[in-house]
Amino acid sequence: MTDPVLDLKGLSLRLDGNAGPVDILHDIDVSVMRGEAVGLIGPSGSGKSSLLMVMGGLERATGGKVMALGQDLSVMDEDALARFRRQHMGVVFQSFHLIPTMTAIENVATPLELAGDADAFDKAEAELARVGLGKRLDHYPAQLSGGEQQRVALARAAAPQPEILLADEPTGNLDGTTGEAIMDLLFGMRERGATMVLVTHEPILARRCDRVVRLRDGRIEAEQHLEAAE
Amino acid sequence: MSVAFRIARRELRGGLKGFRIFLACLALGVGAIAAVGSVRMAIQEGLSREGAAILGGDIELEFTYRYASDAERAWMEARAEQVSEIADFRSMVSVETPDGDRDRALVQVKGVDSLYPIYGSVALDPPIALAQALRGDDKPGLIAEQVLVDRLGLEIGDTVRLGVQDFTLRAVLLREPDAAAAGLGFGPRVIVTTEGLAESGLLAPGTLFETKYRLRVAEGTNLTALRFALQEAFPDAGIRWRDRRNGAPGVANFVERLGAFLILVGLASLAVGGVGVSAAVRAYLDAKTETIATLKTLGAQGNMIFAIYFAQIGALTLFGIALGLALGTGLPALAGPFLDDVLPVPALFSVYAAPMIEAAVYGLLVALIFTLWPLARARDIRAAALFREVGGASGWPRPIYVAMVVVLTATLVLLAAWFAGVWALAFWAAFGVLVSLALLYLSARGARWIARRLARSRLTRGRPALRLALASVGGPGGETASVVLSLGLGLTVLASVGQIDANLRGLIDRDLPDVAPAYFIVDIQNHQLDGFLETARAQTGVTKIETAPMLRGIVTHLNGVPAREAQIDPAAAWVLRGDRGVTYSAAQPPGSDITEGSWWPSDYDGPPLVSFADEEGRELGLKIGDTISVNVLGRDITATVANFRVVNFRDMGINFLMVFDPQVMAGAPHTHLATVEATPEAEGPLLRAVAEAYPNITAVRVRDALGRVTEALGDLATATRWAAAAVLVTGFVVLIGAAAAGERRRIYESAVLKTLGATRRRILSSFALRAALLGLAAGLVALLAGAAGGWSVITFVMQAEFTLEPGSAVLVVVGGAAASLIAGLGFALRPLAARPARVLRARE
Repeated sequence: MTDPVLDLKGLSLRLDGNAGPVDILHDIDVSVMRGEAVGLIGPSGSGKSSLLMVMGGLERATGGKVMALGQDLSVMDEDALARFRRQHMGVVFQSFHLIPTMTAIENVATPLELAGDADAFDKAEAELARVGLGKRLDHYPAQLSGGEQQRVALARAAAPQPEILLADEPTGNLDGTTGEAIMDLLFGMRERGATMVLVTHEPILARRCDRVVRLRDGRIEAEQHLEAAE
Repeated sequence: MSVAFRIARRELRGGLKGFRIFLACLALGVGAIAAVGSVRMAIQEGLSREGAAILGGDIELEFTYRYASDAERAWMEARAEQVSEIADFRSMVSVETPDGDRDRALVQVKGVDSLYPIYGSVALDPPIALAQALRGDDKPGLIAEQVLVDRLGLEIGDTVRLGVQDFTLRAVLLREPDAAAAGLGFGPRVIVTTEGLAESGLLAPGTLFETKYRLRVAEGTNLTALRFALQEAFPDAGIRWRDRRNGAPGVANFVERLGAFLILVGLASLAVGGVGVSAAVRAYLDAKTETIATLKTLGAQGNMIFAIYFAQIGALTLFGIALGLALGTGLPALAGPFLDDVLPVPALFSVYAAPMIEAAVYGLLVALIFTLWPLARARDIRAAALFREVGGASGWPRPIYVAMVVVLTATLVLLAAWFAGVWALAFWAAFGVLVSLALLYLSARGARWIARRLARSRLTRGRPALRLALASVGGPGGETASVVLSLGLGLTVLASVGQIDANLRGLIDRDLPDVAPAYFIVDIQNHQLDGFLETARAQTGVTKIETAPMLRGIVTHLNGVPAREAQIDPAAAWVLRGDRGVTYSAAQPPGSDITEGSWWPSDYDGPPLVSFADEEGRELGLKIGDTISVNVLGRDITATVANFRVVNFRDMGINFLMVFDPQVMAGAPHTHLATVEATPEAEGPLLRAVAEAYPNITAVRVRDALGRVTEALGDLATATRWAAAAVLVTGFVVLIGAAAAGERRRIYESAVLKTLGATRRRILSSFALRAALLGLAAGLVALLAGAAGGWSVITFVMQAEFTLEPGSAVLVVVGGAAASLIAGLGFALRPLAARPARVLRARE
């Protein structure tokens, strides 16, 4: 694990709020190595989700540098970022963010299709079967439970076999048992070699990571290698 | 209830942002109806106020073919303060061209006396007095409309010949006060003095002319009593009475009918707006699901919920209607001074209550019909909606609300029919709108079904932009229904108008027989007939000449019952209105078929017999053996119906409704009518030869006459197209509303798609595709429904053959796709520019 997949240097993020500009992240330096699972933890409003969004190119940093797989995300335009995600990244959200007008299989096939994969639907079907939804292929999101929707979202993120998997509180909207099942699926993806960054509030989840980065008020408060801690 | 109002008031604090489309839809529909109604009212008031000026007197007595007798003239003089005599007929003017040839044009001549006009004034260019213009110098003076001056390249002072009399063009006629009452003439108006005409040779006995006597009567004269007195004094004289109370009945009827028709089109626009109103209310109530569920947990019952939101929507409806009324009555009133110059009839622009009430009632009903459904569903939202995704506003409302919607719709249709006064048209129009709405709704569902299937089919795999578009069209929620309904209905009206217009224009070309006559020639005197035939036949290129004696008569009685009291099919009312051409013949006219009865022997010498056109005869309720009285030259002829004949009025040959046996009429002074078939090259020389030999006769070029009809149809189509445009504008507003309502959804979709790696180009092409697909679906259904509408009007109203006109059809389909595309792309910018992280986190 010597090869940094994500490398953030002097990162800052300032957003324009209703009451004027707000500094969300200050001077963040963090690297994530290939194959590593990193948990971002901290109290609400500490900036962990924003940091994850910047890592995914979904939010543009206002200062510093964001390198992903050796490429500088901060100089890419909107479309270049989209292409980069298509090729290298999968993102899972707390609120699933499935496209409501598409069935489960269509949702999962979309990133594959966008990448020009000719077997998009076969792969999507296999991926849904892997998360236990082989019989719910043609259901619309509104026809699925929260846990099922998150499994579709996981399948969608995993289907293109991304090198980087970003997850923003993936169990935040789920009950304990369902949440655990989702976590098992999520960490199962590591076996395919994905590097993972995970925002979470839950200590159990954080403990399954290799390393935990704690944020407070937009700054890194502490970093902890869990094997070392244990 | 007061609690409901209080809560409603608090809820409205949120502002009107979500209701802009709601208000625009209502205001546009109500505004269009109020505007048409106001203009109609202004014209009606104008016609009524200016009745005497339009008519040219307090009373007008019209004689066909003759001047008033001494007794009739004396009757008028005894009862009026002034009596002015006018002769009106069509003729031809000719002018000498620089190369010594003569140029000719068909005109409508008015011979006037020194009292003309009793009311109103004539405007001339140069601005000289009428008497001065007509007095002339060595030759009598003549004034003509600008169009004739342009056509013949005339200048003031030029010599113009009418018949065999030369006149000097003294001025251009700018305004003729009694023009509206005269109706559609065959050519531009020319005015000369009656004395000037005396030497023209044009008013020989038997010539087709009308005389009109305009009477100025003392104020307070009882016109009705005077009318009865005239009937009593001259019961069978065939005198047509008109008075200032309805100076231009033709124009008044036309304005009434056209207004009614345009208001029905306006109603279609309101129906389109209804789709937008419904969508806006549904979106508003969807956003209020949580509030409604909360109110329910706090103890509000379904009725209370209904009252709260009914009060809110009601207040907004009233506001929208008020806006529409301000627009619909304000604009015509403001534009009045400008419209006055454009309109061929006087108009008194003001704010009238009647059209406002009509428009407001329509607006209220449409708003109720389209908002009750979503409101009734909102009352059934369950408190559980707060905690779970259940119990939202969906499915059918309670039966009582469905029944109310049905009753309100029926009321709207009945009211529209009552207001319009043309029941059949109103019912058919309402039926058309309802069927179109149903068709469009079904097709929206069909389009969604097809899109869903296609989105899942192998055909679209590997084409993510197309599949995304199809998934969006076919998926749950979305704007498919409101876009297809609103745009579709707007396009349907436009397609119908387009098909009717194109068919009517095509009809004239299509139905014109291959060998249509080049000219109708009228006013051939008895003694001129042989010479005329000889002259015409001598021309090369003349292939066929037909002639028939021609008289004009007014039907006065059917089986002894005065014509105006007879119970007849309204379709045949025209037969009894005004004078009709009649002829006589010993033999059955070639090309006509007897359907009942038999033709009289060639040497028949019994009581008068008549052969009647089959269709019109039946519509008048005539049977073989019935009697019909026709006033010809002031004399009533009563003949027995001997047979019915099929007459094809479209073959452009000589056709008469009534053919009498020769004994009855041969002695009466009359002229002959001729049709001449000739090659196009022969037309010019033929006209020259005939007109030079017989200056009194009038040749009507068939193509020119048809051109005038086409022009008149074109004006009608333009008026209708403006009304249809109101429907389309409303449709477009609804479309924009749907696109705007879908913007949040597209922003979200765009954010998710960007997260999954879609570029902006791909997202944009998906948005464009979905908009075009929806527009295409709406256009295709509109084409079907519009063609059906056009077909029914052409087949049942015009009784002609319908052909689908491809140009107009393609325009509708392409236009639909384009309109949808414009609205869709207009609202694609924000979704494309949105930053995914912010959009997605806002939904966390």
